[in-house]
Amino acid sequence: MSKVKIGLAQIITRLGDIEGNRKRIFEAINKGKAQNVNIIVFPELATLGFGSGDIYLDRIDENLKVVDDIIKFSKDIPQWIILGYVERDKHGFFHNSAAVIGNGKLVGKYRKVQLVNYRLFDEKRYFSPGTQVSPVDTPFGKIGILICEDVWFPEPARILTMKGAEIIFVLSASPYDRGKPEKWEAFLKSRALDNIIPFVMVNQAGIQDGVTYWGGSFSIDASGKIIKRAKLLQPEMLVLEIDTDLSKILRRRDIRVREIRLEILEELLKAYREMSID
Amino acid sequence: MIDIKLSRKELSIYKEIIENSIKARINKINANGGVVALSGGIDSSLVAVLASYALGNRLLALIMPEDGTSPDSDTNHALRIVKKFNIPYKQISINGAIDWFYNIFPEKELSRPRVRLSLANVKPKIRMIINYLHANLGNRIVIGTTNKTELLLGYGTKYGDLAADIYPIADMYKTQVWQLAEFVGIPTDIVHKKPTAGLWKGQTDEEELGHTYNEIDTILYCLVDMEFSVKETSGYLKIEKSVIQDIYNRVIHSEHKRKTPTITRLSKMCLDKDWRYPVERY
Repeated sequence: MSKVKIGLAQIITRLGDIEGNRKRIFEAINKGKAQNVNIIVFPELATLGFGSGDIYLDRIDENLKVVDDIIKFSKDIPQWIILGYVERDKHGFFHNSAAVIGNGKLVGKYRKVQLVNYRLFDEKRYFSPGTQVSPVDTPFGKIGILICEDVWFPEPARILTMKGAEIIFVLSASPYDRGKPEKWEAFLKSRALDNIIPFVMVNQAGIQDGVTYWGGSFSIDASGKIIKRAKLLQPEMLVLEIDTDLSKILRRRDIRVREIRLEILEELLKAYREMSID
Repeated sequence: MIDIKLSRKELSIYKEIIENSIKARINKINANGGVVALSGGIDSSLVAVLASYALGNRLLALIMPEDGTSPDSDTNHALRIVKKFNIPYKQISINGAIDWFYNIFPEKELSRPRVRLSLANVKPKIRMIINYLHANLGNRIVIGTTNKTELLLGYGTKYGDLAADIYPIADMYKTQVWQLAEFVGIPTDIVHKKPTAGLWKGQTDEEELGHTYNEIDTILYCLVDMEFSVKETSGYLKIEKSVIQDIYNRVIHSEHKRKTPTITRLSKMCLDKDWRYPVERY
């Protein structure tokens, strides 16, 4: 594999507006289909919307029905879909998850590991954190998925890289505050450079109860260069291509993945345990 | 690190977000439009202009001077704003309503400071009633005009000028309001005149607050946005600790003005503490 054509579905989602969200998701799938993309990526919690609202507890079944409908729809299209939704596990606990859907099947799932609980965020009120970070095999290569805050920490992207991911998709519902778009760019550039791996970040757009989701979805190649950027604040379907061979070429001489040292990883764990005790 | 001043790019983003937020509330609750009380001061002028960009002729500006107390220049500025930006408006004098309240008191009591201040606070409440009268008449919402500096200091009248359905500029400090006002084309003489709450003749905000808005905003930015302690703010800005402490106290003591009335919690689902639902429906 080398080039993957990706549709970044920067849609407006609203908390609790399952019907509206569903309509906008299907419109974006059809746009991606018309442009012959390989993968269509949606923002975090695209089915149910993002925000602090007890609607999460009421609308879970309707949200799962949207995922089922997309799985059925995917049977007849060549596109694969990565979708943020609320997952309910066998214990009945909720997760802020991403579904990887292709050929009429739910091929893989990822649960957000770094739940946010500061300032306006209150994810621990509703969600249990994920504990596993693994790529998913697709016809377009091994793909890694992270959800929003996961990429503000260096470790999850590192794990995906070490497990052989060729692209990392970041699903986001990032509220605007001053300097936020610049901060995101800095974080993603660092992760791309640390791991010599391309990133595709998809944020939602729109506003609800005074909270604006800033859109501005973008992609970075394995050398840390921005490939394309969607509009700020407004919805958009941004289509771009990622060359997954670039990281392999760069990694021959660029040593940051090749030379990861076990002793240093062990030192990191040791330091973490000591920090936790303090 | 202390960076209150907005870049042109940020001003353009702020403008778009504020307009979107006004539109979103009106569309999502099926209202027909908005009402804004326009004094001719910079906060209400900015909100009126942004709301008019968002709503066009679905905005109604209410100019409600107290003849004899509100400076004529303010009313003239309000009229210049509605004309320049093509904003539908009504001009209503509040003197008759104020007189009714003054007449409750015997003449000799009117000079008592407590009575004087309480009656001054009736004025924004009269304007609030007129705001909501017009909101109800046209299925509109009331768009508030307070800013972050005022809201943090508690410099506003509860159920008066603070009574509104949304606060589009209440996450902007006063000095940022000046910047955005210039950015959207409000005439510079209106932007740079001395701010006043119009509580009595000749009153200015900075004199009443005891500091300039530049000083206050820098201090508030440290205390609130940077989450510095009083001691850290004093050290960082090289301003005497007592000055910072005074402003900090104003912030802490005015918390009640930023909250809905406290509900006494008796069940596990107390509506101001435990229950969370979005206001903007779908």
